[in-house]
This record gives sequence, structure tokens and C-alpha cells, in this order.
Amino acid sequence: MDWTTFYVSSVTNAMRGKKLLEQHGFTVYIKHSSAQGETDGCGYSLQVRGDAKTAKQLLARAGIRLLRIEHGGGGL
Amino acid sequence: MIYFDNAATTYPKPPEVRRAIAEAMVLYGANPGRGGHALSLRTAEQVYACREAVSSFFKLDNPANVVFTANCTMSLNLVIKGTVQRGDHVVISDLEHNSVLRPLETLKEQGVTYTEAVVHPYNPQRTIESFCSAIRSNTKLILCSHASNVLGYRAPIEQLARLASKRGIPFAVDAAQSGGILPIDMSKNTIDYLCLPGHKGLYGPMGTGLLLCRGSHRLTTLIEGGSGSQSLLPQQPDELPEHLESGTLNVPGICGLLAGIQWLDRYGIERIAFHENSLMRELYSRLTQISNIRLYTEFPSPSVCVPLLTFNIDGQNSEAVAEHLNRAGIAVRAGLHCAPSVHRRMQTTQTGAVRLCPSAFTTNNDIYYIYKKIIEIARNS
Repeated sequence: MDWTTFYVSSVTNAMRGKKLLEQHGFTVYIKHSSAQGETDGCGYSLQVRGDAKTAKQLLARAGIRLLRIEHGGGGL
Repeated sequence: MIYFDNAATTYPKPPEVRRAIAEAMVLYGANPGRGGHALSLRTAEQVYACREAVSSFFKLDNPANVVFTANCTMSLNLVIKGTVQRGDHVVISDLEHNSVLRPLETLKEQGVTYTEAVVHPYNPQRTIESFCSAIRSNTKLILCSHASNVLGYRAPIEQLARLASKRGIPFAVDAAQSGGILPIDMSKNTIDYLCLPGHKGLYGPMGTGLLLCRGSHRLTTLIEGGSGSQSLLPQQPDELPEHLESGTLNVPGICGLLAGIQWLDRYGIERIAFHENSLMRELYSRLTQISNIRLYTEFPSPSVCVPLLTFNIDGQNSEAVAEHLNRAGIAVRAGLHCAPSVHRRMQTTQTGAVRLCPSAFTTNNDIYYIYKKIIEIARNS
């Protein structure tokens, strides 16, 4: 199954997102991500294994702001 | 030592709290939210676990709206100074602590005004009317102490929250004496800001405080700085909790606070409140029989006040009484309790008063012992 990286704005949102997605059966790892974009700098990302569309909807519904999404990659 | 100064900070702390703080120094020693290594992430998980425990305890829907502060005073300053500006007006109660009065006096020099509404302990409707008549067209904040730190009186915060919501004014509650003592349900009330110490009724360590935000209003920041994320942004991140949390968090304190809340959850605050109220009723009944003791608080009734008791012995300064008790190994709090308005109301600004406040660890023997000592002091006066 594919991995998707969701870049979030803070460690609190990363923790919140991880808990939420794990409750819905996703496998999730948190990673520190430097220089996420030209304006953001350091932050955290969620490496998520499972259906990216559902994961995105769950995160958005919980009000977790997503800075960027990258598809593919191999988790940790 | 027999400790009756629990309104200042609870002591002793549960063994679980002491253990959690010591363990944090070993298990959670990295900076949370500042790196990606295992120890930093493990520490961040523990900090987040505390946010979850707090939000669950106070029925707040989003753990990200739990802001860690150093104490309740800091939480109150964040709310007051983050809400009002020149030309604005604030309504507070006449039971407020200096943690509310002093920030407002500072702001007064910058053109902010405030009005004190009277709390009537046995008449919530009159209290509401008092707040209602204090509201002006430029009122930008209503702030009320949930329970007085001197008299224990409870303010009708549920009705006040409804009043504020109806008028479109942010409503803040100082829960310094009620957090962990009285149930507070943020999901049922339109309280916008709940300010709490972590080290009193929640049984965490000193140096911990909380600000719970409903998220419908945006506070301006008092301090800005490193938040561990969005570091290329020149401005402070606008999302909670990082918006109001700059710099490294008090991780050992937060771990201790988490253990305190878990301990409270296990015992149940209703059970603890029942125990404390029973003790205060016992002592109150005994003290009313001593002719030269003046009690300022009402007969302990959970619907009217939190369990604490304030008194004086005729002809004696409160500090002298507290010193007698101290020599007998009893810790109480004398003086004005940083609440000058309440002491003006009691007409005790010259003598102060002696305050006793129990905790979950206070025993019937403690009550009997302090009663005996108070009688001795009263008889010799």
C-alpha cells in the first residue's frame, strides 16, 4: 500500500493527526521536516500508509491545516 | 506539619505526581516540538497526552486549544492583555484577586476602564443583574472568578456565560479555586477562556498553569519567539497552542500535571469535594460555638461555596494567630490573600484574616487538632 506525507504546521497538529488517523486504522509515523516550503521552515509531517483521500478528509474535518501533501515514498 | 494552605497550593502531592516528575527527568529529557529524534518525539507525545487529559477533564473538544502557562496569573494576563486595548471596558466581579486587578490597573494607565459587579452568594439572579447593569457599549471582556479565594463564594458562571454570549462579549473564568474542585464542562457552557493553576485542585506541581480557549476569539500575543515550527515565518504562528506558547515548555511540570489529573480522575472530584466539605462543616460547626471567633464564610454548602473557611479571633491580628498555629505545626494563610476588594467588603484590610483550606489528604484528626489549637489561642486572647 502507498505512503503519503502530510506536512502539518506544528508538533501538536502532528500528534493530533497521528492519533486521529490511528483511530481509523491507518499506520502513521511522525517525522521532523526542515524547510518545508519557501515560507514555512521547520515543522512536522505525518507519513501515512493507507488511502490518502480518506486520510486527507479526516485531517481536514478535524481542522488540521495541511501545508503540503506528497504522494509516494516508503515510510520510515 | 498539618497543612491547611491548600488554596495557595495543594500539599502534599499524590505519590504518582512526585514519581511522574522524577521519571520525566529521565524518560522525557529532550525538547518537545524541536526535533525529530526519538527522545524529542517521545517527550512531545507525553506533552500531548497532558493536553488530551486536560481537554477530556474539562470537556473541551480540541486538545490543541489547551495552552500551557506558568500559573493561573499568567493565563489571566494572556486573556486580559490579549483582548482589550485603549478605550475598551471590562466587567469583573468584586471578588477578584490581584492577578486580575493589577493587570487592569496597568491597562487603566493606557485608557482601559473596568467596573466591579457584585456577587450575591445566595442570589444568582441579583448577581446576573449586577453584571448586566455593569456592561457598557464598549465592554470587550467579562471576567469572573468562579470561587473567591477568601470567602469561597461561587459565582453563577453558567448564567454569566449565557449573558456574555447573548451580548457577543468574550467571557473568561478565573478557576484558581475551583479547577479540580467543582465540575466545569466547557461543552455545556459558552466560557471562552478558562484560566487555571495546575498546582492547586489539579494536584500538579507549582510552575504549571493552563489556559483553555474555545477558539471562537483570537488573543493577541504577550510574548513571541521560538515555537519549533514554521520558523521561516517572521510572525508568531497563528494556530493554538503555539500562538501563545513561545519557548521551551515545563516538561517535568506538565508530566506531573498529567499524573495529577489522572489521579483526580481515578478518585473522582465529587468524592474529594464530599470529603473536604464534610471536614469543613465539622470544623465550622465547632468554631461557631466559640464566642470570640468571627467567621467570615458561610456554613460550608457545595452549592454556595468551595470548601474553605476564613476567620479571625477578636482582638488578634491574623498574622499573630497564624504564627501561633505555625508553632503548633499547622500551616494556614493569614493576611489579605492578594484580594483587597474582598477584604474591603469584609472590613478586614487592617487585620487580615486567617484562611484554612483542606485537600483530599486532610483527615478528621487534622480537623480535631486544629480546632483544639484554635480554642487554645482564643481562650488566651
